Amino acid sequence: MNWIIIAMILALLIPIYEAWQDENIWQKMLAFASISTKTSIIMLVISVTRDDWYIGVVAAIILSVGNGGLMLLANLLKRIEKYD
Amino acid sequence: MIDSYVYVIIALLPLSAFILLFQVNPYHALVIRGILGAVAALVYGVLGASDVALTEALVGTILAMILYIVAVRSSLVMRLGILAERERDKESYLAELIASVRKIINRYHLRLELVEYPNVEALEQALIAQEIHATCTKSELLEPEKDSKPYETTFRVRRLFEIMETELNLGTTTINYRSIPPSPP
Repeated sequence: MNWIIIAMILALLIPIYEAWQDENIWQKMLAFASISTKTSIIMLVISVTRDDWYIGVVAAIILSVGNGGLMLLANLLKRIEKYD
Repeated sequence: MIDSYVYVIIALLPLSAFILLFQVNPYHALVIRGILGAVAALVYGVLGASDVALTEALVGTILAMILYIVAVRSSLVMRLGILAERERDKESYLAELIASVRKIINRYHLRLELVEYPNVEALEQALIAQEIHATCTKSELLEPEKDSKPYETTFRVRRLFEIMETELNLGTTTINYRSIPPSPP
């Protein structure tokens, strides 16, 4: 099962590279959304492979409600773009 | 025994922390801070600290982001006081001046906020009361000579004045610095 998780980590590196390289703020936000979803999914897979449901519950909560910061940041950036 | 992929996941944490360290723009740094929070939650979860992971994702990321948003929004701004003028007085000079000022301070990741005041006295009062960082008014020359500059921009912040003095090369405004003593507490 390890190779599945290794492949998921490699897929996680793609948006990290994108967030590092791209100067456009909205591309960075997209990379952020992608990373936060991918990390939760990786946690879910690990919880299944270890048969540890405590981690699984936490991963599900992070996946469903953990994107509040993203929403706030998007609103802030939208307001700033309106000013300029 | 620890699986080998755990080391790879843990290596992501310093990687994203280094990316965060090398950000120059504060808004980009905010986004990368969110990424760092997501990766940290993953690392804590994988290492078995599910409660810490939940706290990092909910409180750490969201609360830290709210606080940083408030800090960045309220501090990285330059308030420029202008006169509220009637439509016919609005010349292209002022629009051009504001556009070039905005371009310069955008390089320093500042925002420009225009504050309108009804007359020159209110503008002066606001500058002395430190409500605004700079004023932009028309020069008081009644008969403008050929090479005179129609606008006068006064800064009360030394650093902003230095930036503008070196970078604002417009023929339409003079740039002054006025030191204002700190108001008594």
